[in-house]
Amino acid sequence: MPSGQHLSIPAPKMTFCAINQRSLRSVAWLGLWLPLLISAFAATPLRAEQPSVRYEASHDAMGTVFTVAAYGRDERYLAQVVNEAFEEVDRLDAQMSNYRPESELWGINRNAARRPVLVEPRLFQLLQDSLRYSEETAGAFDITVGPLMKAWGFFRGQGRLPSRTELVGVLKRVGYRHLKLDGAQRQIQFDAEGIGLDLGAIAKGYAVDQAVEILRANGVSSALVSSGTSSLYALGAPPGERGWEITVRHPYEAEKVGDVVYLKNYSLSVSGNYEKFFKLSGKTYCHIMDPRTGRPVENMLSTVVLAPRTTESDALSTAFFVLGVEGSRKYLAAHSNLAALFYQPAASKGRFKRVFLQPASFSLPPEALAEFAP
Amino acid sequence: MEGEHDVTRRDFLKTAAVAAASALPGVSPPAILADPGPSDAVPYGMIGTGTEGCTLLKFLTTIPAGRCLATCDIYPPNLKKGVETIGTNPQTYVDYRQLLDRQDIDAVLICTPLNLHAQMTIDALNAGKHVFVEKSMFFKEEEGEQIRQAAAAHPKQVLQVGLQRRSSILYNVAVEMIRKGALGKITFVCAHWHRNSDWRRPVPDPKYERLINWRMYREYSGGLMAELASHQIDVANWAIGAEPISVVGTGGIDYWKDGRETCDNVQAIFEYPGGQKLVFTSILSNGHYGFQEQIMGDQGTLEITIGKGMYYRENASKASTGTAEEEWWAGATVSEQAAQKGIPIFPEKPNGQGGFLDREWRYAKRWLASMGIYEYEEPHDPWWSEMADFLASIREGKPVVAPLELGVADALAVIYANRAVDTGQKVFWPKKTGLARTRAAGIP
Repeated sequence: MPSGQHLSIPAPKMTFCAINQRSLRSVAWLGLWLPLLISAFAATPLRAEQPSVRYEASHDAMGTVFTVAAYGRDERYLAQVVNEAFEEVDRLDAQMSNYRPESELWGINRNAARRPVLVEPRLFQLLQDSLRYSEETAGAFDITVGPLMKAWGFFRGQGRLPSRTELVGVLKRVGYRHLKLDGAQRQIQFDAEGIGLDLGAIAKGYAVDQAVEILRANGVSSALVSSGTSSLYALGAPPGERGWEITVRHPYEAEKVGDVVYLKNYSLSVSGNYEKFFKLSGKTYCHIMDPRTGRPVENMLSTVVLAPRTTESDALSTAFFVLGVEGSRKYLAAHSNLAALFYQPAASKGRFKRVFLQPASFSLPPEALAEFAP
Repeated sequence: MEGEHDVTRRDFLKTAAVAAASALPGVSPPAILADPGPSDAVPYGMIGTGTEGCTLLKFLTTIPAGRCLATCDIYPPNLKKGVETIGTNPQTYVDYRQLLDRQDIDAVLICTPLNLHAQMTIDALNAGKHVFVEKSMFFKEEEGEQIRQAAAAHPKQVLQVGLQRRSSILYNVAVEMIRKGALGKITFVCAHWHRNSDWRRPVPDPKYERLINWRMYREYSGGLMAELASHQIDVANWAIGAEPISVVGTGGIDYWKDGRETCDNVQAIFEYPGGQKLVFTSILSNGHYGFQEQIMGDQGTLEITIGKGMYYRENASKASTGTAEEEWWAGATVSEQAAQKGIPIFPEKPNGQGGFLDREWRYAKRWLASMGIYEYEEPHDPWWSEMADFLASIREGKPVVAPLELGVADALAVIYANRAVDTGQKVFWPKKTGLARTRAAGIP
């Protein structure tokens, strides 16, 4: 199916290839402009007791490329299951797109300022989760940033600098406090005209989680599911491995390794200033908005969040990008299953500062793995 | 129907002037204007909560005009999925007759394998329920008449077939453009539905193979013709304004030699009373062209699928002797644009900063308005609209968007096309009612 129009500016197409030096491990690079590399099938033959087939497929949806690499006994069966997962991603895209007038999200944006709008139960749950993230991050995560993205020209891919008065006007239409959710009636209402929901910072992670549920329900126990280069979930581990090896790109140089993470039954999301940006008079403006100031975030290169669910890591990688290291400490201290990595610009050009935060009480559920390589 | 007369530019303008005064017929305002209270909502049951049933249930969760009281499926995982999807804790059934016995249920939706549609529809009508039945409406030729009789015995009950393009504003606008002469004389419809997959669903336990992959087996399924062509035959019938009179076809299990019984490659040519032809092509080994209908007339082409429609003007080569007022059509930018790049039926909303998109939007709006068309976007997913339309027909007496005879015409075309593929012979529609006569091509 043609992918049509999407939640965000399309990412370049990704390809798969093997890296021979890392033949025993599964490696995924995260970061725009770089191919997602998954290499567990590379050089050495699989052990006899392991499932023998690896199946990979990718699919255009939500303005990016969803990819699944899965292990199982039967390639045809894996193909059918992965196809079911992609069909679900398409349904979510059709429901949550802010580019399609017929989507449920568009309908909410069209009507919710005038009357309460009934919301599909799972989308309602996602909206509730989004509001909770907003409250817990003091507004650093916000699904009402759409007007800001438009004002800065990110909606159609051309950057522009809005005037101060324009920003003041736009900020009146931004803020999660404008959203009223009625759980008993499963309804949403906006308290003013001009408010619009944009799920671009959470929907792709949510779609990864839903795809993983379908894989699980059909008995797949080893798979890596990713949306573009920003979010992924590691289901189980590749045969004979502790976990999936994920490579996070260097904040400046796309070809270089920033960090390596091992994951099993855990998710990882990245927000980077290199994903979408524009330059004006020598200054670079990235696509991640601080909903509180109405301006693109500065002084952050990228943030990586590890969380049990991809919905959560996707939302929080954006929130932490906005909050910065100090602002994120409190949140992390209160959540013992999260870890975060920050790449910040350093004083000298081309250098950066790496900060890793993990709560002292950090603990994982059984059967999960989430650790950074030393 | 306007029949076959050639629509001249003068006719076109006359029609447009008249039409401009009225709203677009066939396209109603949103079915649900006011949210009914719970007591006012239509209590319904869903029979069959597989992929299609759950898709509909998901849309139904946001339509307050209906209230799901019961679901039914014989496959436990589907039953569970249906309950989770609707989220209203419906009573579940394995036997649909028990669901039909419930006096507090006014309507049922039937989303089961094709071979079960007719019996369930008839039983539901006889049980006093309004019925929504998925396409294709029935499996065997004689079942059409049986459903007709049941419907005639219960004339006050709504019967709607799941041809959701009938509920799409985009498709209604396209057909309205055709009626207003934008394509001129239609001669040909080309419909393709191509995929690159085995069209199977994963089966966790081999004992469920035939249950889950019923589309593969001729005991239950009409294959690609029933599941995919049915939508597109209906579009062609709608655009041309008639049913076919004959069909030839061929098909095979050419690629997925995996024990299936239905074809993975089917090609059929239907002929209509005015000589128009419909080509339907469906394969499961290449997905490049996806699914789309191309409707061609001597004045233009419509390329249309769910979510997107484009209009292409044929090069305006015919000399005009009309007045200057009439010259806008041939000379307007919209015409050049239409011939070269096409005009989107629902253009992308411009950003208000000038430039190509803004101009295109203005031209397209002006052009549509000249035909009396004032709809510029699909406000809901057509699946949603089809459900809202069904409930509106029950609650408000709104005319059924895809009624019995549409479904009968569509299902018969599917059955005859499969017969043509199976026998290798041209199949002719019966003159009035009764069974189709199959005879060798060329023999009168």
